[in-house]
Amino acid sequence: MKYVILIHANPNPWGHPTGHFTDEGRQLDAFQRLAMDRKFDELMEGMAASGELVVCEALADPGSSTIYRWKGDTHVATEGPYAETKEHLAGFFLVDVESRERAEEIAAAFAHPGDVIELRPAMWAGGPDA
Amino acid sequence: MSDPGLDVVWRACAPQVLGALVRRYGRFDLAEDALQEALVAAARQWPTEGTPDDPKAWLIRVASRRLVDRLRADGARARREERVARRAPANDLSAVGPSDATVDRDDTLGVMLLCCHPSLSRPSQVALTLRAVAGLTTAQIARSFLVPESTMAQRIVRAKVRLEEVADPFAVPPVTEMPARVAAVAHVLYLVFTEGHAATTGGTLTTPSLGTEAIRLARELHRSLPDDGEVSGLLALMLLTDARRCARIDADGSFVPLAEQDRTLWNGDQIAEGIELVDAALPVGPVGPYQLQAAIAAVHDEALTAEATDWTQIEQLYEMLERIAPGPIVTLNRAVAVAEARGPLAALDLIEPLLDDRRLRHTHRLHAVHAHVLELAGRTDDAHSAYLLAARQATSIPEQRHLLAAAKRLEPESSSPP
Repeated sequence: MKYVILIHANPNPWGHPTGHFTDEGRQLDAFQRLAMDRKFDELMEGMAASGELVVCEALADPGSSTIYRWKGDTHVATEGPYAETKEHLAGFFLVDVESRERAEEIAAAFAHPGDVIELRPAMWAGGPDA
Repeated sequence: MSDPGLDVVWRACAPQVLGALVRRYGRFDLAEDALQEALVAAARQWPTEGTPDDPKAWLIRVASRRLVDRLRADGARARREERVARRAPANDLSAVGPSDATVDRDDTLGVMLLCCHPSLSRPSQVALTLRAVAGLTTAQIARSFLVPESTMAQRIVRAKVRLEEVADPFAVPPVTEMPARVAAVAHVLYLVFTEGHAATTGGTLTTPSLGTEAIRLARELHRSLPDDGEVSGLLALMLLTDARRCARIDADGSFVPLAEQDRTLWNGDQIAEGIELVDAALPVGPVGPYQLQAAIAAVHDEALTAEATDWTQIEQLYEMLERIAPGPIVTLNRAVAVAEARGPLAALDLIEPLLDDRRLRHTHRLHAVHAHVLELAGRTDDAHSAYLLAARQATSIPEQRHLLAAAKRLEPESSSPP
């Protein structure tokens, strides 16, 4: 089963891992941050080795995006960000896991200070079994 | 792989070649690599040089040569000999004489049990079975599961390393563990089947369809264990379900539910074979979930029209299934049969308690069945809302399309466009 894990965050300045640059993340002491990073690295290594991690990307500053909209009979481009919200999409992970429970376990481990994690099932082109 | 016929020949030999190599040399991980290299060599040479008289012996010879080169090269020989010396010969598939590689024995079951070893996760068991038993390449497996080849390669490498860590994984499991080990193999084959059955892609010339592969492997398992009723049930269930494949998706890719399928498109030979298997297995020994699910599929397949379906019998079979394998999904399926056999109100009594069941909170099927039964009960507005709720939760695109169409059909007059 494929799921997408979306990382929404408001790092300031924009940077990765977002947990180092959010207001909440900044309040951690060095030791807490190190423990958090180590735990996350372990999770990532485990997922890569098990073949659960399909693909992941960290995204650049939302101000660097270009937005396309349909207007009249053609599209027009404007410079980003896409929306004037507090949190922006900061990165995504596509995982292929055994069950929803496993996806929830992974997604929960992504929630670092200041991050909002969204777990969404991917849709698929096949039909049901019976 | 220019000739799909040749591909079938060399892949059929895969588990036996691997079994021979593991028995002789021990190292499963290296043996599996050597098998893959031999399969690639077959793909290159057979189409031009012709199929060897004894394809299996040819593959064993080529794979052995690669494996010995590898063992010499990485100096693993000492460790291998130590490992062989450690083995207990009494119940060990590897304990045979020196000429074992050419002895005609069937290792298929042993290799299946190994690939579905309890130390591996289900997805790893599935991937390893497709490679080592079905003889598919990593690229083909990755394509079937729509993941990058590197992701699938990681999964397979990890699984092989894990098997190497397990002491003597090729030993025959103790008799007491055997039912659970065979059940794991059956479950893995069932997962391969549902993955293939569910996918609309695959089945191309370069990637054999997972449904076809699952049936082939279930046949192998049945051949090794002809008296295992659940294995017969598994094979029957696959045949009886796969028989309807052509009728399940219409020309524009929409899902066609059982009741609306063109039954002349069903595969009569597969239905006959499936029914024969169920009829033979059911009266013997304890009845298991695969046999009951196959029996239910058989009742559907025997009906010439949807109206002719013997729902009373299906309800009874679901009752039996609920007793031996209880769960909310089985109850939900029973409710479908109850609605048809005894009317929607009796079915609603079964469904309503499930609406609060946490285990079903991400299952669109609960609301899809609820909607259908509400519609039968004449509660059109409630059915409309339930179809929309089901569509929102569906993750299958053809099924979501079907549920949205059902909702639209029941749309209140006032909100329809003029």
